[in-house]
Amino acid sequence: MNIKSLYVHIPFCEHICGYCDFTKLLYNEEFASKYVEALILEIKSYNIPKMETIYLGGGTPSVLELGNFSQIVDFLGSYLEKNGEFTVEANVENLTKEKLEVLRKAGVNRLSIGIQTTHDEILKTINRHHTFEDAKKVVALAKEYGFTNINVDLIYGLPGQDEKALKEDLKNILSLDTPHISIYSLSVSKGSKFYNEGIKPLSDEKDAYMYDLIVKTLTKADYIHYEVSNFAKDGYESRHNKTYWKDEEYYGCGLGASGYINGVRYTNTKSLTKYLKGEYKDFEEKLTLNEEIEDFLMLNLRLKEGFKVSTFINRFHFDPLEKFKDVLQKQEKEGLISINDSIKPTEKGLKLLDFLLRELFVLL
Amino acid sequence: MDFDQKHIRNFSIIAHIDHGKSTLADRILELTETISKREMKDQILDSMDLERERGITIKLNAVTIKYHSLNGEDYLFNLIDTPGHVDFSYEVSRSLAACEGCLLVVDATQGVEAQTLANVYLAIDNDLEILPVINKVDLPSAMPELVKEEIEKRIGISCENACEVSAKTGQGVDKVLEMVVNNIPAPSGDVNAPLQALIFDSFYDSYRGVIVLIRIKNGSVKVGDTIRLMATDKEYLVTEVGIRTPKEIKKDSLSAGEVGYLAAQIKDIKDVFPGETITLSTNPAKEPLAGYKHMNPMVYCGLYPVESKKYADLKDALEKLSLNDASLTFEPETSQALGFGFRCGFLGLLHMEVVEERLEREYGLDLILTAPSVIYRIILTKGEVLELDNPSKLPDLTMVREIQEPYVKASIMTPKEFVGPVMELCQERRGIYIDLEYFDDTRMIIHYELPLSEIIYNFFDKLKSYTKGYASLDYEYSDYKSGNLAKMDILLNGETIDALSTIVHRSTAYGRASVVVRKLKEIIPRQQFEVPIQAAVGGKIIARADIKAVRKDVLAKCYGGDISRKRKLLEKQKEGKKRMKAIGSIEVPQEAFMSVLSIDEEE
Repeated sequence: MNIKSLYVHIPFCEHICGYCDFTKLLYNEEFASKYVEALILEIKSYNIPKMETIYLGGGTPSVLELGNFSQIVDFLGSYLEKNGEFTVEANVENLTKEKLEVLRKAGVNRLSIGIQTTHDEILKTINRHHTFEDAKKVVALAKEYGFTNINVDLIYGLPGQDEKALKEDLKNILSLDTPHISIYSLSVSKGSKFYNEGIKPLSDEKDAYMYDLIVKTLTKADYIHYEVSNFAKDGYESRHNKTYWKDEEYYGCGLGASGYINGVRYTNTKSLTKYLKGEYKDFEEKLTLNEEIEDFLMLNLRLKEGFKVSTFINRFHFDPLEKFKDVLQKQEKEGLISINDSIKPTEKGLKLLDFLLRELFVLL
Repeated sequence: MDFDQKHIRNFSIIAHIDHGKSTLADRILELTETISKREMKDQILDSMDLERERGITIKLNAVTIKYHSLNGEDYLFNLIDTPGHVDFSYEVSRSLAACEGCLLVVDATQGVEAQTLANVYLAIDNDLEILPVINKVDLPSAMPELVKEEIEKRIGISCENACEVSAKTGQGVDKVLEMVVNNIPAPSGDVNAPLQALIFDSFYDSYRGVIVLIRIKNGSVKVGDTIRLMATDKEYLVTEVGIRTPKEIKKDSLSAGEVGYLAAQIKDIKDVFPGETITLSTNPAKEPLAGYKHMNPMVYCGLYPVESKKYADLKDALEKLSLNDASLTFEPETSQALGFGFRCGFLGLLHMEVVEERLEREYGLDLILTAPSVIYRIILTKGEVLELDNPSKLPDLTMVREIQEPYVKASIMTPKEFVGPVMELCQERRGIYIDLEYFDDTRMIIHYELPLSEIIYNFFDKLKSYTKGYASLDYEYSDYKSGNLAKMDILLNGETIDALSTIVHRSTAYGRASVVVRKLKEIIPRQQFEVPIQAAVGGKIIARADIKAVRKDVLAKCYGGDISRKRKLLEKQKEGKKRMKAIGSIEVPQEAFMSVLSIDEEE
C-alpha cells in the first residue's frame, strides 16, 4: 500500500497530568538530545518518501529546548510533500515566539494545543501549570505568527467539572475561535495518576447528557461533528487523523509509537534504554482478514461520513450489506446508522458505537 | 509376566478430602518405579485437568503396579484411587467392590473427619480389610498417637500395625507397601469357573469403542473370546485386553483376581454400565455378580446449549460422559426461554459443577445451567402425587394441596467453640435440631435435619467460613416433609422467564426476591431499551428493579496507538456476548440463571 502519513512521538513532559496514559517521561535535557538523535536514525531506517501528512505528538514536543526542537522539526519538514499537512502538538507553557518561528520556517501548518479546561482551579488539580489567560495569549500569539489551522484539546468529566463549568468551558473555547476542537470524555485507564487515586469516570447517564450538550453547542457554532470526539469548521478536519480513521497505513516512529505497514500493526518499545540502542519494535501483529475487517469497521464508523459500501467491497471482496444484514437493518430502525451508498453512523450511533461494533463483530 | 492369584493385591485408598490420598498414590508409583522421576507430576492418577486445578479427585482411577517385596517375591498391586468429596461416594463404593482391602488415610494433624467415617462404613459394607495409614507425620502439629487412639475408639479398627507416613516426603511409604503384601488378602476367585467380570468403570474411545475397566472375579477372558453382557444379553468379540500402568499394556488374557481393561468394539454406549457382569458366550456363568446400588440423583438442573443448533452435540456429549459417570442422568426438556435442552440429575452441587466443566472443556460446548433444584413432591387436591424436578412446571396452586421437600440428616463435626455459629447457620437454613454429642475433648458432632434445597447452595462455604475451615460435613437423605413453599417467578420486560423460576419458602420470599432482582440488574448488561425485572409469587409482584437503557458506549480516543488494544478489547467483549442467551430481544449472561439462588447481598 502507498503510505502517506507519518507519526513521530516525543515522550517528554515537564509535568505528568493526572489523566495521561501515553508513553511519557519527565523531561531531562541530556536524554532528550540523545533521544532526538536516535529518533532521526529510526526515521531514516524506513526510507520514507514525501508524506502527505506528518504529525509530531507526545508527550510534549514543545518541551524540547530550542536546538533539539528545531533539529527534529526541520528534519521532518524535509519529508513534507507540497500541500501536505504538518501538525505539531504544543503546550501552553512552552510555545514561545522562538519556537513558533522555527515551526513556521519548517513548514508546519497546523498546531494542536492542549488546554483541557478553562477553569484555573481544575487545571491545578489535574497538574497542568497554566491558566486560561495563558492559553488565550498563546493562541493569539500563534495566530500572529500566521497559524490559522489550530486545534485545541478539551476534556469533560474532570473532577469538579460540573454542567455549569462545562458550559463555561465551551463558551470560553469558542471565544478562542480556532477552526478545530477535540473534546474527550475523561477515561481513567490503568497507569494514570487518576486511576491510582481512585477517580472514577462519569456515569453513563451524565456522560451522555454532557456529550449531547457539547454536540449541540458546537454544532450551533458551525462546527461539524466529524468524528466521535472531534469538531471542525468546514475544510479543517485533521487529514492526518483521518488516515487512522479510514484504516489506512502509516509510519510510526519514536518511543512507544505505533505504526501500520504492509498489513502489520506494530508498537515500539517503551524503554528508553532499548530505544537508544536501536531496539525499536516491541510488538508486531500481522492482521488476519477478520482483524482487518474489525479494524476497518471500528475506525471508519467513528467518522460521521462512515464508509462507502463500494470501498468495503473493493477491499474485502464481499458485500457488507449481506453479511451484516440483520444488525444493519435493526440498527437502522433503531436510528444508529443510515444506509445508502455509504453506511454512516448517526449522532446516536456515534454515542453507541462500541455497542454497535460488538453486534457486527459477532457476525464475523 | 504371569502371576498366580497369591501374588496379586487389589486395594483402594480412602480418606476425607485433603488428607493426602492422591499424594500417597504418587509416592507409591514413584517408589515402585511404575512412573519414572522424569514422568512424575503431582496427582498423577488425576488425569483430568480439572482434578489437578482444584486439587481434588473426582473419578476413581485404577493402575497396576509391580512390586518386589522384602520377602524376595514379586507382586502385582492393583491400586484404585478414589474421590474424597461426599458427592462422589458412589465412585468410592464402585472401586471398593473391585478390591479385597483398602488403605484408610487419616491426616495426623486433623484426625478422623466426617468423610473418614462415611468411607469406612462403605469399606466395612464391602467386607474389606482396612489398613490405617497416619499421614503428614512430618508436620509440627502432627499428633499420630492421638489420632491412632481416636481411630481405635471411634472406628474400632486396631492401630497396632498402623503405618506412620509422610506422603509428601515419602517417609514410611515403603512400610505401607509391605503391609499391603502381608495384610491384604490375595483374591480368591476360581480361575477354572465360568467367567464373571465386574465392570467398575468405562469410557469412550473413538477408535476402539467403549473401553471397560474390569475386575475378574472368576474364570478368565482372552482376545478372540465372545463375551456376553449379562444384563442386556448383548454379545461382542473381544479385540483387546490389558492392564494400565497407567499406560495401557496389552495382554493375551486376564484371569481371576486381576484388574484390567477390555475392548470389544462396543459402539452403543447404552449397552454398558458400571456394575454389569461380563461372562463368556460359550460357558456362561449362572448368576451375575451383585451389582451396584443405583444412586438416585438429588439435585436437578436444566442444561441448554447457548447456541440452539448445538443441541445434538450436547446430547452426544452427555451420552459419552454418562458412560464415565454412572450417576449422571438426563432427560430432554424444552423451555420457552431457552429452547431445547436436558433436565439433568446430579449427586450434589460439586458433581453438577464438574459435569458442566467437563462438558465445556472436553466437548467444547457453551452451556446455560438453570438454578439447581431438588425434587419436590406435589400432592394434588385430587390426591395424586407428582414428583417435580423443574420448578417452572409446578401446576396451578388451586390444584395443589401440599408441597413437600426432601430433607437430609446432616452431621457436622466442628471444634466446640464454633458450635454457636454452626447452629445459627442451620437455624437460618430452616434446620430442625436433633442432638449434639461430644466426639472427643475438643470436637462436637451436631446433628440437624435440613431441607436439601437449603444446603445445595452455598451452605458448605458458609460452614467453612463460620468455623475457620475446621468443620466437616456429612449427610444422608432422610425423608420428605411438608413446607410452606411457593413458586417465585422472574419477569423480564413483563414476560415470565420459565428458566428463572424457583421454589422458595414463603417466610423468606420477600427478602430473597429483592436480592435476586438486584443481582439480576447487576448481571444483565444494559440493552438498547429499559428492562424492568420483577419477582412474583402467586401472580403478585413482590420486588422490582430496572435496567436502564444504555446511553453512551464508545471509546473517546482512538488514534494510531490505540487501535490494536481497542480491537482486542472489543473482541473479548464479543466473546462474552456470544456466550449470552438471547431471550426475546434481551441478552442474558449465563450466570444470571444461577443468580436466582442468591441469598445474601454480599454474594
